[in-house]
Amino acid sequence: MSGIVFYVAVVWLAVLLGVVVIRLARAGSIGERILALDLLTLVLIGLLAVAAGEDQRSYALDAALALALLSFVATLAAARYYESRKPFS
Amino acid sequence: MTGIIADTLALLGLAILTIGVYGVMRMPDVYTQLHAASKAGFLGIAALLAAAAVQGDGAIIARAVLIVALLSVTTPVAAHAVGRAAHRRGEPMRSSGAVDES
Repeated sequence: MSGIVFYVAVVWLAVLLGVVVIRLARAGSIGERILALDLLTLVLIGLLAVAAGEDQRSYALDAALALALLSFVATLAAARYYESRKPFS
Repeated sequence: MTGIIADTLALLGLAILTIGVYGVMRMPDVYTQLHAASKAGFLGIAALLAAAAVQGDGAIIARAVLIVALLSVTTPVAAHAVGRAAHRRGEPMRSSGAVDES
């Protein structure tokens, strides 16, 4: 992608990260908090994808892959713990 | 030519992701927020990864396809787990006209 689009995308995704962090801090319930944390990792994966597309940095996508796997397990464990006070039951 | 396609996909992904974040900010309860976060969030990420893959070499394309396939499986499961936990713990439905059919 061209340079101006790259800088617009990075700045815009950084603003989105800040918005989601504020949402995470001011969530109304625990379910909304878990959801905001999931969305935060999703925006971070987008930021890593933009970084990988700029200069053929495939190692950024390695980090994005690990982050996607970890955030799935973390969301599932947090939701199940919130549901029954036990992570795996 | 591929540069124009990559730019378009990147801006499209940014727009969809912004819609998802805006939905999470504006929706009244966790059940309606799940719609914005899981569907718009996944589509935005898929468009951004496609923008990276259009101009990328084989390593980037393989990783992007792998991440999109993985997220398309894990995002609905995570959203369902969060929604079920919120419902079991009795979180209220604040959207107008909501009916709990369980």
